[in-house]
Amino acid sequence: MASQQIHARSVGEITDQDRVGSPEYVAGGARRDELSAINISKTSGNKQLLKNVSLSIRPGEITALIGPSGAGKTTLLKALSLLEIPDSGNLLIDDLTYSFPFRKNQKVAPPWPKLTVVFQQLFLWPHLTLRKNITLPLGNHLDEPTSARLEQLIDRFKMREFIDRHPNETSIGQRQRAALVRALVLNPKYILLDEITSSLDVEQVAYILSELRVMQEQGIGILLVTHLLHFAREAADSIVFMEHGKVIESGGKEVLAQPRQERIKSFVAMAEFAS
Amino acid sequence: MNVFEIFSQYGDALACGLMESLRLALIVWTAGLSIGTLFGALGARFPRLFGMPLAVCAFILSGVPVIVFLFWLHYPVQSMMNVVIDPFITASVTLAIINVFAVSEIVRRVLRDFPEQYMIAAKVCGLGRLQTFTQIQFPLIFRQILPGLLMTQVGMLQATLFASLISVDEIFRTAQRINATVYRPVEIYTSLGILFLIVCLPLNGVAIWLRNKYTRDLSEK
Repeated sequence: MASQQIHARSVGEITDQDRVGSPEYVAGGARRDELSAINISKTSGNKQLLKNVSLSIRPGEITALIGPSGAGKTTLLKALSLLEIPDSGNLLIDDLTYSFPFRKNQKVAPPWPKLTVVFQQLFLWPHLTLRKNITLPLGNHLDEPTSARLEQLIDRFKMREFIDRHPNETSIGQRQRAALVRALVLNPKYILLDEITSSLDVEQVAYILSELRVMQEQGIGILLVTHLLHFAREAADSIVFMEHGKVIESGGKEVLAQPRQERIKSFVAMAEFAS
Repeated sequence: MNVFEIFSQYGDALACGLMESLRLALIVWTAGLSIGTLFGALGARFPRLFGMPLAVCAFILSGVPVIVFLFWLHYPVQSMMNVVIDPFITASVTLAIINVFAVSEIVRRVLRDFPEQYMIAAKVCGLGRLQTFTQIQFPLIFRQILPGLLMTQVGMLQATLFASLISVDEIFRTAQRINATVYRPVEIYTSLGILFLIVCLPLNGVAIWLRNKYTRDLSEK
């Protein structure tokens, strides 16, 4: 894994010179087989929520997005999944290219479920059982491979016991697993996880960590928004630190281990003191 | 003369009165549920244009007693307009207006407060618009709306009794007429109570059954 470690980075760091004419790359230095955000900005009212954010996520990599509350992490996640349309910038998801702002009435191919999101609040549909929550996006008639994959996931996430219960009849950890399985059964290439470890105990966090590893081995590119620094250190190949809607620093685990900027140093120190 | 004798002797008259009450209720329910749902949907879709006026009308109407509104439409309004309208029509229109605004407020509020996150979840899971509506939006909205709607409709059925005060020959007026003839108020109004129980209890039973079936506690502990 170490040799493959490619850190989340500002796309600007990749020199276009090296890539001109290469079918692997597109304009802006982004690769065709990755999710790249290039200079994404988003404003709400007078407040600029995202300022020229660039980052990339590769299949089989885990990128942790950290930063204080209000840094713009969830907004970025929504922008990357097109749930909130950025005001400017470009987003490339493999061969799908989105240039912002969209033209009026512009029809765009949605990135879902190739790219999917698991939110902090999970958003399980409350009137359906966990099984139905998971199978609804797959349609009425599951083909054999999908059925087999589903059963495999149910076993892997140890959901057999509670799969036929409604969300309100299960614990937060069980719902968390159901939300992950709902996303995974769609066979996404990229998955964005928004604070999925919040309100989980230590054992459940460890369990999620092991599952992230499995997802990573399956070649899924993962963007993990988390406030747990030890979790980010353990799980991620690369770290992106955000504040005030900007990427302050990005790179490998050294972003947290040996922070260069005072702001990150104090954030890490405070977070460690708090935990 | 006991209750059974009242039923056997005046059964036909009571049945006629009951049918008139049910006919009135049916009109009120149909108008309220159809127009009210439409208004509610418009109110949620266009909050300023429809939502606010609807909320204001519903708020004002909820503060006016049914009987006052009924009398007002029956006497002063018709007198001012110099028209005479059949009391049954006046009662139908009055109760329908009340029901339309009550239903529209229930529908508008549920649609307005529908949690957006369920739609977002449907989006990122790749569900289409139709599937999202039929499988997520509609069932959840239906479950939210149902208890309020059922209670309102049972209330409207009971409110049809006020129509007797403007001479609609519904069940209460029939009972009053019988009482004027035989003067047995205890037995006659007990018979009336029994008749209403026979009609309302199954309705309430269905309401409770539907409520238990579709509106169980969805909140996550």
